[in-house]
Amino acid sequence: MSSPDWTESFRQESSELLETLEGALLDLCDQPDDRELIDCAFRALHTIKGSGSMFGFDKVANFTHEFETAFDRVRKGEIPPTRELITVALAAKDYIRALIEAPDSTDQIIGDGILDDLRRFVAPSSEQETASPQPAASPVAADEDTNDDTDLAGWRLHLEFESHILRNGSNPLHLLDDLCKLGPCFAVALIDDVPLLDALDPEECYLKWDVTLHSACSRDIIDDIFMFVIDEMTLTVTPLTRRELSPAALTPTPKTPAPRTAIADPTPPPAPKEAERAQEPRREEPKRSDDRGIATVRVQARRLDEMMDRVGELVIAQARLSQLASASSDPSIKIIAEEIERLAGSLRDTTMGARMVPIGSLFGRFRRLVHDLSLELSKPVDLITSGEDTELDKTMIECLADPLVHLIRNAIDHGIEQTAVRNAAGKTDKGRIELHAIHSGAQVLVTVRDNGAGLNTARIRAKAEELGLLSTDAELPDADIHQFLFHPGFSTAQTISALSGRGVGMDVVKRTIENMRGSIDMATRPGEGTTVTLRLPLTLAIIEGLMIRVGEGRYIIPLSAVEECVELTADDQRARGRNFLNIRGDLVPFLMLRDMLYATGAPDEYQKTIIVSTGETRVGLVADQIIGSHQTVIKSLSKLHSDVTIFSGATILGDGTAALILDVAQLVTLAQAHADKQHLNEAA
Amino acid sequence: MKQQTDHAADDGQTIQVVMIGLGDEKFALDAAIVREIIDPVPATKVAGAKPFVHSIINVRGNIVPLADLRLRFGMPLTEASTDTRVVVIEIPIDNEPVFVGLTADKVYEVTEISRSDTQQTPRVGVSWKPEFIRFIAKWRDEFVIVPNMERILH
Repeated sequence: MSSPDWTESFRQESSELLETLEGALLDLCDQPDDRELIDCAFRALHTIKGSGSMFGFDKVANFTHEFETAFDRVRKGEIPPTRELITVALAAKDYIRALIEAPDSTDQIIGDGILDDLRRFVAPSSEQETASPQPAASPVAADEDTNDDTDLAGWRLHLEFESHILRNGSNPLHLLDDLCKLGPCFAVALIDDVPLLDALDPEECYLKWDVTLHSACSRDIIDDIFMFVIDEMTLTVTPLTRRELSPAALTPTPKTPAPRTAIADPTPPPAPKEAERAQEPRREEPKRSDDRGIATVRVQARRLDEMMDRVGELVIAQARLSQLASASSDPSIKIIAEEIERLAGSLRDTTMGARMVPIGSLFGRFRRLVHDLSLELSKPVDLITSGEDTELDKTMIECLADPLVHLIRNAIDHGIEQTAVRNAAGKTDKGRIELHAIHSGAQVLVTVRDNGAGLNTARIRAKAEELGLLSTDAELPDADIHQFLFHPGFSTAQTISALSGRGVGMDVVKRTIENMRGSIDMATRPGEGTTVTLRLPLTLAIIEGLMIRVGEGRYIIPLSAVEECVELTADDQRARGRNFLNIRGDLVPFLMLRDMLYATGAPDEYQKTIIVSTGETRVGLVADQIIGSHQTVIKSLSKLHSDVTIFSGATILGDGTAALILDVAQLVTLAQAHADKQHLNEAA
Repeated sequence: MKQQTDHAADDGQTIQVVMIGLGDEKFALDAAIVREIIDPVPATKVAGAKPFVHSIINVRGNIVPLADLRLRFGMPLTEASTDTRVVVIEIPIDNEPVFVGLTADKVYEVTEISRSDTQQTPRVGVSWKPEFIRFIAKWRDEFVIVPNMERILH
């Protein structure tokens, strides 16, 4: 909270809250009965309202209040969260976002329209509740609650603050004052925990309070008072019914130390509905702390980069220390060196992990897109995602968003057929879009698959001919014809829809992916659907690698590509010109890495072969020594080395030197080209 | 010396440079592109790379290509000595900033040279491609080359 820019903090916080809200709303579409989701959405709304009014975003606060009031009926179970209601709620959520991010570009009319829609869905009887905008904690809201709970006469509160609360600038007494404003209020301080004077820390809060509040206000109003400290306190609120309001309870309890039991005297069990409400705080509390557990801290990516670099330097310095220590005879130095080695190692792992983001955060965004598109085009579509845990560098995730939006739009707009067409083809009513991510070697594969009509090869061909990209008599494999889709300005859509068909899109997708040094594959089956696979390199991902030595150089092979390691027998080595290994009856060609990497130094007597697989091909790579597995942070090579294809990147070893990561697929391609040339030479 | 720099500052046409030695020649690198000067670190050869950027090194956790201008200028290679340093520069390549390490036989000093002392690159008498040279300036009665690093490394 050191940032002086409160407004910015509010913006960031509410942006996260709005995402939570959206997620909850979308989930509600599928599970309309899930109370947790409704509560979650409601909590998000409530916090936005509260902090909005606190930071002077009055429009946001007012609108959200209206939204909240309407949604409250859903929370109370009076009306079901229908699909239509959720669509309006999503629009309302977007409007809040607009209000926060660009208040000037939004219009009151839009907001009013959304509110009207909302009110229409939440029964007409609720009109008087929503008619006039009320600021947060309005007395009207209180009245409304009173109507619901006629039996309600007040609240019994138990407040326990965390001992450090005073240091954060919160003053429990002010909160008590606020409570007093709600109505006659009797507060009793519980002083059981106050230590002796010697042990008393003036900055700690030792007191707890039991408060009996005789006010017909709603629970929300009490929650509002404690909104900003709720995470640092335990608040137990029990409703007080009129029956309990015996004169005895009204007798002012002495302000002086009172035995705790006198206050916490159990009241007769409240009415069932009350009991349910009373349970709410208890149910809510652990959930809240869970949320905090996975809460995020916003850090600029640049700072993470810097941190990573510093850690890199630390690891190198530590390696030097270890070297010195091992040469030293002083055991205490050795112990410290080992300790620092362990710490530096775990610090490195943590820092690396900090830059990685599961791709699920990206997939989450598309649920809204699919939801909206399927409504707009009246094509019911399910979005199925898998591999959300696949971690990618944060910057890669950002770059991937746009291409995936294009691909998903295309899939829904062009791929998925109208329901009638689907039925005629014997398919289910609902279309399906699958988003899948998986680590594959040094790459991440992101797949967008639809079960629609598939690409219309004939039409693409016709269009390509029309645009003069292809002569009519040229014979091309289907896959090559499909490549025309990536041509700028290429669109086969018969009508230009609002979504796609303008012919910008696929070429942008392709360019973006290629800028990320990735590639794009497309597979299609008529009538069954299309699969688009994005192959992306991991710019800063950590891979498990196998470290090998070739000559004097150390290299890393991505372990996922490695199948097995075998020793190269003297026979194999001698048989020049017949570079094949016999692996359990299969012929596997092998490549001498020494030749390909221009290694210097004498070759080891016993050469090792690492059998790697790339696509369908299995190849043996012959190295001098297999050093072992190595946690590898991939760093991309500089632009000056962009002409070197056989390395996919480099990494920094424990001793501070750099090691290159072999690109297995490229090595094989290069070797094949080399072999072909040799064949030609031999033939000549 | 002091007088010289004062004079240079007066006409406002001075540039700050890092003087490095390569073989027998002296080069002035624009100080604005120099990021740091470090002791030589073990380099890793990159098979198949252009000869003058044959290696990579680790500079504070970054992989930085190590360029040898002597190869680019067709100068004989000398063994590394105690004076050998790596000068890390940052130059734009295709509009992206790229870090490059340059091996220098010796780093002299950071100084200012005046553009008024600069000379047109003579067509003859220079064994390097003219496009590699931004201009030639005078420093302590010696001619020094201000190289065009973007051209050289491209």
